[in-house]
Amino acid sequence: MMTDSVLRDRFFKKYHGQEIENCIQCGMCSGSCPLAPHMDFGPRQLFAMAREGDMNEVLHANTIWLCVSCYNCVVKCPRGISITDHMYSLKKMATEVGIKPPKMLHLYRSFNAPVEKNGRLTDVMAMAGYGLRHPGAAMANVPLGLKMLSRKRLELKPASVKNIDGFQRVLKKAKELERVS
Amino acid sequence: MKYGFFPGCSYKGAAGYKESTEAVSRLLGIELVEIQDWNCCGATSYWSTQSIEAYVLPARIMALAEKQGLSEIVNVCNACYSTLRKAQEKLAQDNDLNEKVNLALAEEGLKYTGNLNIRHLMEVIVNDLNADDIKKHIKKDLSGFVVAPYYGCQLNRPWADIDDAHYPVLMDRLIEMVGAKPLKNYSAKTECCGAAHMVAHKDLCMPLNNRIVKDAVSKSAQTICTLCPLCQFNVDASQYKSGLPMVPVIFFTQMMGLAFGLSEKDLKLQKLLTPFKLAV
Ligand code: SF4
Ligand code: SF4
Repeated sequence: MMTDSVLRDRFFKKYHGQEIENCIQCGMCSGSCPLAPHMDFGPRQLFAMAREGDMNEVLHANTIWLCVSCYNCVVKCPRGISITDHMYSLKKMATEVGIKPPKMLHLYRSFNAPVEKNGRLTDVMAMAGYGLRHPGAAMANVPLGLKMLSRKRLELKPASVKNIDGFQRVLKKAKELERVS
Repeated sequence: MKYGFFPGCSYKGAAGYKESTEAVSRLLGIELVEIQDWNCCGATSYWSTQSIEAYVLPARIMALAEKQGLSEIVNVCNACYSTLRKAQEKLAQDNDLNEKVNLALAEEGLKYTGNLNIRHLMEVIVNDLNADDIKKHIKKDLSGFVVAPYYGCQLNRPWADIDDAHYPVLMDRLIEMVGAKPLKNYSAKTECCGAAHMVAHKDLCMPLNNRIVKDAVSKSAQTICTLCPLCQFNVDASQYKSGLPMVPVIFFTQMMGLAFGLSEKDLKLQKLLTPFKLAV
């Protein structure tokens, strides 16, 4: 397990988290966040904790995974802090330190896998991947799925880019660069 | 007028978005040239999990457009729109990242310079056309049709440079231009629908959607008008078996098509989950 101070340093330097030093703790972000009532800590408190170096607690908070990228906080923040981007960074850091994957990480992975393979996504493909891990959620969506089917709304064939070799070479190179950075 | 066009993954499967966009663009003389061999933009899922791939995906789309000689990319999805813009903005600020992204793209012989305008079709129609270019196609009187303009999140936010961040009006203007009535005091117009969280956290996102619907219904809107496949899907599907009063959720291109006298069938309004009835 990485120590709090190493993690804080990593967040501030590699992930440009230093910007949160400018936070004046006004709470506009938490006040405008649609899912703040369900978060362990709102964004304001999360940043206070990160600044103080409580990084393990920050990375285990559900806050980062409940962020829906609505950018409500960003347009309200009087200090121009790119709050949503910091949530992205913290999600990546949480994944790096190996937290127990929350539902949203499973969902992101179910979304990324067909994109990596085919370059494009259909809702059916993403849902199928997620449904394997969370059959409850998949089952709950069956009536809706049938309704969509009756409306001819489901694309059952996987979509793909044509130059799939080229596309995959590009992604492979990106992954290599990601590893060394 | 000719534009590069990025349909994105959810356009084709969205309830009549494709059919209505094609019909309306044809009438307005807007030529949408599809970017050849485009890929998924990655959106929130990649921003949340990958540092370089998250930029490579949108950059490949933009590089393909550049290769086709296109200088503007028109989007029909808020998430695609904001993803392309976000990538463009960061790549302009970060040389090291830009270099890495281009190294990856070179594997396919592509190059990204970023010399492009990223647009959304709704904003293109309002900003690039004269009101008369639109009005001259009106065949049906929609003056009794009250439309709640629902903008969702990622069109005006985070930049807030094409419209007001807190109370956007571009789509309100479009509704007026086609002769319908925009719901003036629709305070839920920029609330979040929960996006992909609707899949994993439905219980938390349902109240968000209920508010978007209730605010429209209680103020007597006859439809909610959207400009993003994910918003449309969530706000529409959240009403399914909810037991609450329902209101159809259509795309702005379907609303325009109705005014231009296209049939409900041409606009594929039967694909909506909440049934559409034009009672003007
Ligand atoms: S709105 Fe900005 S300054 Fe205020 S608490 Fe949130 S991050 Fe800090
Ligand atoms: S972007 Fe995330 S943190 Fe900010 S208001 Fe939206 S959900 Fe909350």
